[in-house]
Amino acid sequence: MTLAKKTIASGLSEAEAIDLAKAGDAPAFEGLYGLHKRRVYSLCLRMTGNTAEAEDLTQEAFLQLYRKISTFRGESAFSTWLHRLAVNVVLMHLRKKGLPEVSLDEALEPQHEDGPKKDIGARDNVLAGSIDRVNLERAIESLPPGYRIIFVLHDIEGYEHNEIAEMMGCSIGNSKSQLHKARMKLRDLLKLSRAEKASRR
Amino acid sequence: MKKLDAAVLAGLILVGSALSLAAGAARQIKLAIAPGGSVNVVNNCGSVTLHPGNQRQVVVNAATHSDKVEVDANSTPDGKRVDVRTHALPQQKPSSSESSVDYDIAIPSGVSVTITTATAPITIESVGGDFSLSSGTGPVTVKNAANARVEVRGVAAPVVLSNVTGQVEVTSSNGSVQLTNVSGSRVRVAATSGNITYHGDFSGGGSYVLSTHTGAIEVTLPPSASVDLTARSLKGSVENDFPLQAKSHMTFDPAAGRSFAGTSNSGSSSVELESFSGRIRVKKQ
Amino acid sequence: MNCKQFQEVLPHIIESGGNPDQEAHLQSCRECGELVRDLRYIADQARLLLPMHDPNPRVWNNIQKSLAREGLVPEDRMSRQGHTMTNSPAQKKSWTPLGLILAATAVLALSLLLVNYRSTNPANQENLAPPVPDNSPATAANADDHVLVSQLAQQDADVAGAYQASLEEVSSYISDAQKAVNDDPDDSAAQEHLRDAYQQKAVLYQMATALLLE
Repeated sequence: MTLAKKTIASGLSEAEAIDLAKAGDAPAFEGLYGLHKRRVYSLCLRMTGNTAEAEDLTQEAFLQLYRKISTFRGESAFSTWLHRLAVNVVLMHLRKKGLPEVSLDEALEPQHEDGPKKDIGARDNVLAGSIDRVNLERAIESLPPGYRIIFVLHDIEGYEHNEIAEMMGCSIGNSKSQLHKARMKLRDLLKLSRAEKASRR
Repeated sequence: MKKLDAAVLAGLILVGSALSLAAGAARQIKLAIAPGGSVNVVNNCGSVTLHPGNQRQVVVNAATHSDKVEVDANSTPDGKRVDVRTHALPQQKPSSSESSVDYDIAIPSGVSVTITTATAPITIESVGGDFSLSSGTGPVTVKNAANARVEVRGVAAPVVLSNVTGQVEVTSSNGSVQLTNVSGSRVRVAATSGNITYHGDFSGGGSYVLSTHTGAIEVTLPPSASVDLTARSLKGSVENDFPLQAKSHMTFDPAAGRSFAGTSNSGSSSVELESFSGRIRVKKQ
Repeated sequence: MNCKQFQEVLPHIIESGGNPDQEAHLQSCRECGELVRDLRYIADQARLLLPMHDPNPRVWNNIQKSLAREGLVPEDRMSRQGHTMTNSPAQKKSWTPLGLILAATAVLALSLLLVNYRSTNPANQENLAPPVPDNSPATAANADDHVLVSQLAQQDADVAGAYQASLEEVSSYISDAQKAVNDDPDDSAAQEHLRDAYQQKAVLYQMATALLLE
């Protein structure tokens, strides 16, 4: 959806709504909520894997938006700015919970998988073409929290490793390592899911 | 590692044929299985017990109780799949007791297992792996399974999981579900009228959801538990005997007697207890 | 270069490419080639995942309350039930849980499978109404449930009885949850219960059908 097409039903463009919201206009803020709620909520849900937490965090993100919108200068797209704000809300929440999002500068270590260990080289056929959105979403939901966060930020939300490293307070190498582990874990989960379906036939 | 795999695979070529047991007898069958392989067991009556094995093979000990059924046990040539199945002989119509077979199966770690029974109890002890268990009325017991993925479906089958870590999903209609020291990144239990009891600390920073229609949910946790807990019953009652701190943001209006929510310690794990009309009780250990 | 060495550096080269040795290994090694293809496929599929979920309307209600509590906005300045100014169509009671559709579809598909099983299994044609266990309630919740139980009873009366009891329980669950949703369509807890109820019914049908088809 381009900025030009983003209009609120009353005829306001997003840019106009932002200006009005900065001045405290409640309906304009409501309009911005309507435009961006889905992306913010989906982000929160994918990062936490939990509906109640995601609702809480969506609420917090928009409250912070209302308080901070006057600081938006337009150097980036509004959606990018809001998105980053939402990510920070989620990360702060996870830090408070004391979850091991990413160990600071952990050395590359041998794979410690949560599931059964698979030997290098013993693989089934390639996955290409065989996974659908529902299975992938479900597998992502099953990832350990640390892996899930990195995977969502990089592969779904499109953040680069240097951005993730800055947000998470870790090194770029560590971000790459965690992403790799997340994808490997997903590969195992998706293949297992496919094998289980095959064995039930 | 590669040379070992090659040797195993070479041995598999010699082992790929179907084996049948004479009925009314006890036999042992050994089948090679490749790393990451799957084992499928179908046995409606009798029992199925799994325990750890020492070698890269599946060892099946099967005891039939009549000559009207036989056991088929075979593996694919590449060893990626082992199938163990009880079936009636042609033109035979065995009763439940006649079709009963008791299986005692040793499996190596790292395989995925699917077990389907109607009335046969399923018991898995001290084995890690991926388990998909389906039982009509036979009790399902999984104990001491670390880093496991456990999926259980039951109709009226009592389910007992203890000392299990990993991911757990239980769907039970009328059977009770009892979880003791079960923790991991994702634990889901859904029951219709079966009661759910949980003893443990919900550790691991995971997501736990226990839900019922009319079944009761009873949770007992230690003061050290770090949880973000929500309990809601649409029509039933909720009782809390565990100290919780109020949350700063609530996604619903807590209604006295029908819902409550709060955190304990750092609120690491998310715990949702939901019933339609069953009673929910949270107790301190 | 062997597979272990290649896979150790893979996290750092999968996007940018590796040195000639690493690329040569990738081209020549089937397992590593498959691994890299799979990982890139997963990343590509993830990029296609769109934001799919809207938050419950209560999120907006809570935002309004919080802003009013903080004195930032008078409560009457915002709409009562979520925003009215969006560029997407109004979502007035039109949301249907995807899981509910999938679960109900699963029940329907399994019912059709059951009907097909009945019609292609001549041995069962003469016994379409086999005896229901004496201690069971008089009728199953609906016709498909009754057919399913009847078929199961031919295999094992006790198992059929267990399924019948469970089907009645789950039908009651569906009915209770549906009523709760009808009473308050915005009640997400009621919607979740309805979804759970249908999923549980789908599980029962899957298990019963698998038993019959063995």
